[in-house]
Amino acid sequence: MKSIKFVFTIIVLTTSAFSIKAQHVNDPSLVAKGAKVYSENCARCHNARPAEEYSKKEWSVVIPHMRAKAHMTGKEALAVEAFLASTLTADVRNAEEYTKPNAPKKSGEELVTQFGCQGCHQIKGEGGKLGPALDGVVASKGESFVLKKLIDPKFNNAASAMPKYPMNKEDIKAIIGFLKE
Amino acid sequence: MKKVLLQSAVAAAISMSLMTTATAQESSALDIGRLALAGYGDVTYAYQPDMKDEEGNDIQNNVVARFVPIFLFQLSEKIHIEAELEFSTNAEGETETELEYANMHYFFNDNTIITAGKFLLPFGQFGANLHPSWINKAVSNPGIYGGHGGNGSLGGVTSIMNDTGINVANTWVLGDAGRIFTDFYAVSGPRQEEGDHGGGVEIESKNGDNNDSMAFGGRIAYAFLPEWEIGMSYYSGAYSDDGDLNYSAYNIDFNWVGSYSSVRGEIFGSTAETEGEEEGEEEGHGEEWVKDFDKSGWYIQGTWQARQLGKSWLNPVEFVVRYSDIESDFDGSIEHDFEEDGGKTGSRIYYGVNYWLEPSAVLKLGAESTSIENEEASHTSVPDDRIFLQLAFGF
Repeated sequence: MKSIKFVFTIIVLTTSAFSIKAQHVNDPSLVAKGAKVYSENCARCHNARPAEEYSKKEWSVVIPHMRAKAHMTGKEALAVEAFLASTLTADVRNAEEYTKPNAPKKSGEELVTQFGCQGCHQIKGEGGKLGPALDGVVASKGESFVLKKLIDPKFNNAASAMPKYPMNKEDIKAIIGFLKE
Repeated sequence: MKKVLLQSAVAAAISMSLMTTATAQESSALDIGRLALAGYGDVTYAYQPDMKDEEGNDIQNNVVARFVPIFLFQLSEKIHIEAELEFSTNAEGETETELEYANMHYFFNDNTIITAGKFLLPFGQFGANLHPSWINKAVSNPGIYGGHGGNGSLGGVTSIMNDTGINVANTWVLGDAGRIFTDFYAVSGPRQEEGDHGGGVEIESKNGDNNDSMAFGGRIAYAFLPEWEIGMSYYSGAYSDDGDLNYSAYNIDFNWVGSYSSVRGEIFGSTAETEGEEEGEEEGHGEEWVKDFDKSGWYIQGTWQARQLGKSWLNPVEFVVRYSDIESDFDGSIEHDFEEDGGKTGSRIYYGVNYWLEPSAVLKLGAESTSIENEEASHTSVPDDRIFLQLAFGF
């Protein structure tokens, strides 16, 4: 009995120490964190599923279910939602020929952060391991392979969990340029 | 004692809610929905030419199908409702329906979730998270688990899958990669099966409780994300109608998940008290006895994705091997239903090749072979070798 009381006391005291700092949902670092949480937690039990399998509204109901299944914190669940929202933006599409007028130009590094690529891939030793490391990927696989992969992530692997990111022509060019560095 | 424990669990949960200093009021970045439909399904062909039933009749090769929708409903930011139904066809072609779970999550704060209703018990990893067919890497279940997927002639450890009650889940963040997960629950608990001498343990969620005595359990796990997780589970509850006999179980699970491969395993043991009476002289009563029946087993499973070889045509291919072993102290020394229910013990090996059509759709080809050690324990010995072909999908 004493041991049970001790365990619950520890739970209460430790839980009380948690503090959550508000973070804006459009914060690129929140998206990157969400990508990391997504890749680290989904793969604990099953293949990560591409964002496009559910709509934004469906994900908002699915994520609480997965939060309970995977023991994610509320903060982590919000980060995952921010990541999913960033990949399900419908106003641009990832096509080589697609150019979005008046879109602000971003560097490849900024786009890699924005899309949370390092949630699943290592770049310069930093990032997840769900997907292969991207250092030297342009040299080893070829620019056309990387181009195809960004446009259609499943072109070489139907089971790939990589989402179709909302990229335009300039975005793809900038990311390939960054990966060449 | 157990009532006090339950009160302590509820009190602790309420205290956590009041004491937590969480202040964030962020909202989701997604468009808020109310209802979502998820779930999984499968169709399985089993080739089992040598299998026999208890009467020695041939067991036919068969095709079975399941459809398991999960209904998810978001009542508010704090309250989430979920229910899983399983529709399946059995070997006789009849449709079976089962409520796997139906519960409500209350998100108390950033790291605490209260679940009430019928839920999958956090006991080990397979029953709670890994059994859906698109997640389970093999066609069949590990040999220590019976139930869904069939267990052939091998008698599994009594599965602790789902029950009705309340669970308090916590997540403790330890730096960037470390996590401690805890679950503590109180549920209706096990029951006594029908039988001339009292029968064995039945863990199947039903309305009401047979003995006014709840079962308690929990799991404590440490995860070092994204690769490692090690957990320990315990479960205990009275199962007899008079509440005098107890069933308890423990489980140690571990998971290692790499970029191209994974290794998972569980050690699972149970102890069931049972009672009987020595045969008396003539019509007199003999001496009463209470005996512990122990049953334990383990399994280990390894997977490897051939995409590591860098050949694009091998990208969807995955290889699986799993070994299961069960032992018990059932020796047939007493004529008791409990022993009969214990089934056969032994070992089982499964080899499989999976071809992934999508991240959540897979074609599995598997073969398994079972070696029985206690052939005298119950039914007639028969070869138990099967070949499976299964299409499994999550949606």
